[in-house]
Amino acid sequence: MADGAWRRFALRRTGRLLVSLWVLVTASFLMIHLVPGDPVRAALGMTASADLVAARRQSLGLNDPLWLQYWHYLRDLFTGNLGDSMVSGLPVADVIGDRLPATASLAGLAFLAAVALAVPTGVGMAILTRGGRRRWAETTYVSGSVVLATVPDFLLGVGLVAVFGVQLAWAPVAGRGGTATYVLPVLSLALGLAAVLGRIVRVEMVSVLDADYIRTARAKRLKARTIYLRHALPNALTATITVAGLMLGALVAGTVLVENVFAWPGLGYAIVQSILSKDYPVVQGIVLVYGIGVLLINLVVDVALALLDPRSTIRES
Amino acid sequence: MPRRWLNPTAIAAGVLLLAVLVMAVVAPIVWSEKADAVDTDQILQGSSAEHWAGTDSLGRDIFARVLVATGLSVSLALAATAIGISVGIVLGTAPMLFGTSPAGVRAGRLVTAFVNILVAFPGLLLALFFAVVFGVGATGALLAIGFASAPSFARLVHTLVAGIAERDYIAAARIAGVGRVRLLVRHVLPNIAEPLVVNATMAAGGALLSFAGLSFLGLGVQIPSYDWGRMLGEGLGGIYVHPSAALAPGIAVIVAGLAFNLFGEALARAVGLRNPSARPHRTPVAPAVSTSDGAAVLAVEGLRVSYGAVTPVRGISFAVGRGESVGVVGESGSGKSLTALAVARLIEEPGHVSADRLEFQGEDLRQPKRAHRKLLGTSLAMVFQDPMTSLNPTQRIGRQLAEVAEQHQGLNRRSAWARAVDRLRAVRVPDPARRAKQLPHEFSGGMRQRAMIGMGLMGTPALVIADEPTTALDVTTQKSVLELLRELREREAVALLLISHDVTVVRQVCDRVLVMYAGRIVEELPAASLTTAARHPYTRALVAAVPDMDTPRDRPLATIAGRPADPAALPEGCAFAPRCPLADERCAREDPPMVAGVACWKAGAVIAPDLQKRSEAAS
Amino acid sequence: MSVLDFDRVTVTFGRHTVVRDVSLAVPEGAVVGLVGGSGCGKSTLARAAAGLVPLAGGRITVDGGSPRGRISMVFQDPYSSLDPRMRIGATLAEALPRRTPDRKSEVARLLDLVDLAPDRARMYPHQLSGGQRQRVAIARALAGDPDVIIADEITSALDVSIQGTVLNLIRELHRRMRLTVLFISHNLAVVRYVSDTIAVMQEGRIVEHGPADDVLSAPEHPYTRELLEAVTP
Repeated sequence: MADGAWRRFALRRTGRLLVSLWVLVTASFLMIHLVPGDPVRAALGMTASADLVAARRQSLGLNDPLWLQYWHYLRDLFTGNLGDSMVSGLPVADVIGDRLPATASLAGLAFLAAVALAVPTGVGMAILTRGGRRRWAETTYVSGSVVLATVPDFLLGVGLVAVFGVQLAWAPVAGRGGTATYVLPVLSLALGLAAVLGRIVRVEMVSVLDADYIRTARAKRLKARTIYLRHALPNALTATITVAGLMLGALVAGTVLVENVFAWPGLGYAIVQSILSKDYPVVQGIVLVYGIGVLLINLVVDVALALLDPRSTIRES
Repeated sequence: MPRRWLNPTAIAAGVLLLAVLVMAVVAPIVWSEKADAVDTDQILQGSSAEHWAGTDSLGRDIFARVLVATGLSVSLALAATAIGISVGIVLGTAPMLFGTSPAGVRAGRLVTAFVNILVAFPGLLLALFFAVVFGVGATGALLAIGFASAPSFARLVHTLVAGIAERDYIAAARIAGVGRVRLLVRHVLPNIAEPLVVNATMAAGGALLSFAGLSFLGLGVQIPSYDWGRMLGEGLGGIYVHPSAALAPGIAVIVAGLAFNLFGEALARAVGLRNPSARPHRTPVAPAVSTSDGAAVLAVEGLRVSYGAVTPVRGISFAVGRGESVGVVGESGSGKSLTALAVARLIEEPGHVSADRLEFQGEDLRQPKRAHRKLLGTSLAMVFQDPMTSLNPTQRIGRQLAEVAEQHQGLNRRSAWARAVDRLRAVRVPDPARRAKQLPHEFSGGMRQRAMIGMGLMGTPALVIADEPTTALDVTTQKSVLELLRELREREAVALLLISHDVTVVRQVCDRVLVMYAGRIVEELPAASLTTAARHPYTRALVAAVPDMDTPRDRPLATIAGRPADPAALPEGCAFAPRCPLADERCAREDPPMVAGVACWKAGAVIAPDLQKRSEAAS
Repeated sequence: MSVLDFDRVTVTFGRHTVVRDVSLAVPEGAVVGLVGGSGCGKSTLARAAAGLVPLAGGRITVDGGSPRGRISMVFQDPYSSLDPRMRIGATLAEALPRRTPDRKSEVARLLDLVDLAPDRARMYPHQLSGGQRQRVAIARALAGDPDVIIADEITSALDVSIQGTVLNLIRELHRRMRLTVLFISHNLAVVRYVSDTIAVMQEGRIVEHGPADDVLSAPEHPYTRELLEAVTP
């Protein structure tokens, strides 16, 4: 029976992934066609000659019927061909290959830092403040995290630059190099995330500590450590992981802004430059990469959830 | 209701938000001229008395510009939120409006699936996508942020609607022939308005920040217009020489964002979570009658449980002898479950337990001691009402049993597991070796309750406290669980304290019955004489109000007027007096003491038939 | 002649068949008790009759015609069966037929039927006790002047001291108005107290059906015997 449930889960999840991928690919294909006016004219500017525009349209295949363009787009995707930049003429795949490590390492480190901060504080605060005790501690923690979570990561970045970069000159404020250059960008991404995640961990943990099975565990007179770590924490984690996954997705997108604050040579910096210069093939490619990243994160989260809480796979079916 | 609003955070958030909104309207009118005044003599100045936040590259006053930018920043954020909510409500309610016809259901599922796919992508990514499609500029960004927030709103609305749609009043309205649109407008939307408003407030804060982000990147508001994000972007370039140009609009964004978010939080608190701010305090312990003897497994005198000013258990005394089976009956709110938890020392803060005597196996439990853990862990077994929620959903059944032996009896993992399997066998779980490896959700309700009982048998219990152990079970399963409890008593000489609202169950299992009303024991009598020799009018009414297989069908059931007593508002005198057909002035004035097993001034008096039925007006 | 007729009714949820091939007649002016454990399909059968759940097979008729608009229902949980944002009066008025001339006095009449004072019409559900809410739900069920009332576990969520008043009310209304009632409960003693005939349901099927006294004194199906044993000490 359990095997059957797993097979159904795998089938359903794969199906959803494929549909989502298709939506993503189609949206990124349509993007260039939804732009008002002629994208090539927009990219080359008003001064470009009509011949040049026509030639570029021809080379991009924009004069073909839509379905044929769609077919070519899909076919090229499978061969790893994302087209060429309209501005630099470089293959989009190379642009992405150059910049992806910078963005991925930034997002990954920020996520790890956030989890490392959020889980212990959230669990600790839950144990301290459950059942309405130490109201002052709860109020301080909640308001503090609301404030921290409200400050958008890029503004936090600006603040960190102003204080640690400009006033104190402790850390470099732009570019990507050694370990030191990571400090401020990672912090500006991680702190807000940690605040949100920490609150969720606390709320989940408090509600789990209120559950009947925790009362059962207490009735068994187990050690406090066993009750908190073996009975409460795994149950609090399921909801936390769901939210953490969503936030990791948001974090990937959040790198766009932070990279622009710190002139970080990643995808986010590139996509904004490309949007401004109307370099659509690059924008399409980077949107695809971000989207696929988010979908993969969601997949990992769902599998993790299924492993932690087998009921979730069965409940859905 | 209004009192819940009056906390400092809510007031501060409200004032802050009001200030932001007023500034959004007033500032562009008042300071526009100053903000646009170019002064080439004062380019890129630091802060001074004249220019609080310095000047920009055209010598314009940054502070005035920050104030004026409030108008555009806030109105764009509100407009984007409005777009997001409108699209979200349309998408979120679509599945309900499509109806329950097969085609409608399919269309509804399609919309939901589409929304679910979009929701998986972060808002900023969607906003970037739409920003490309709608073009760089304020309008493009407005549409981009509006549409980007729509999927999460749609999902929220859909979840809320689905929750409401399951309520019986929706079913009742549908049966009464109320149409789908009317159903949505009259019943569904009013009931989801509160969470929607809360989320909209916070989303407005989010939109404000997103706008700042897009404008900062140069994708939002364009020159010559300016909002906070635009100013931030312009200021960042010169942050080394002139940090205030970037910091001033940054602070404005944070303050406005906080105003929306904190107000949203305050709203959420006001409409949702209501944490009782109860603080435990000692209440005087009333003298109680001693009913215990030396051979008792459990002896309780003057037990009180209080939550703040409310005292749901008001000084009760009883004892349970070795191998004896004692039932506690009463309605919800009578304090019977709290009594069970208090005896087992499982009441947590803010609850407060006090007693003149609380002895288990001769050990005084009133002062917590390290040694109590082992004693209670091995000699006191608890069985709770809902076997569905009382077992840890993520741990194997065998593990949950075995850990008792590991922690209290020092068994290693393997022998503890073997004991767990053996105990499951003892409570007649079929194929225990295989079952031990399963998770609770693979067990049926009755099996789970057996596992709970087996958990109590890991040690050598002297007392089983069972709190409504069969209420959540089917009648036929109920019988087998009760039989198991009865059998254990005989086999292992375990005493049983059975808490139940069901007089029939208690009669089937117990030797002696304690009847509780409003936190007191009002009568104590042998289970066998419950139907024949009860003397308290409450006990008698309770027995008569429940039909059994012998109740005459041609006569109305006995009823008790009014509602069960509210522990927060108990009358002076006898708590049952307001509902009692026999009550007189003395009952309303003086609380009757327990005398010879009954606490009633009128114990045993005849209840005239015409007194029994009372009109609804009395309640 | 029967008013409510289930003819070989089957209901499925996805792959699960919840009600299997059930045939049951509720004669005019009678109270038919339907008893069974949780998950046996008795509530699903009720919801199917009220048109809340689609049928996978069979037919449900009232007087040989469509049951639409001729059945009303009282639910288990009095806390979720009344819209918390609507006054009692509005809740009752909504259930009245479209062309009711004097809605206000009709609402007062309904409240009077269930022994509630007319001023309750201005109140919200949260101002009433569980028993009072359940009476409002009964009044609402009477509002459309239905041919059949389905009562689904209407006393299970109530305190024991309250459930007697609700059972008495059902009995009295039945006596006074010759109501036709399908009374569903897991509690055999409660079903026995109000019903003329009793049907026993197990795993989606009706396993026994007959006059209350016969079913109780001479049960034929082993499950009925099991149910009876469980309630007799």
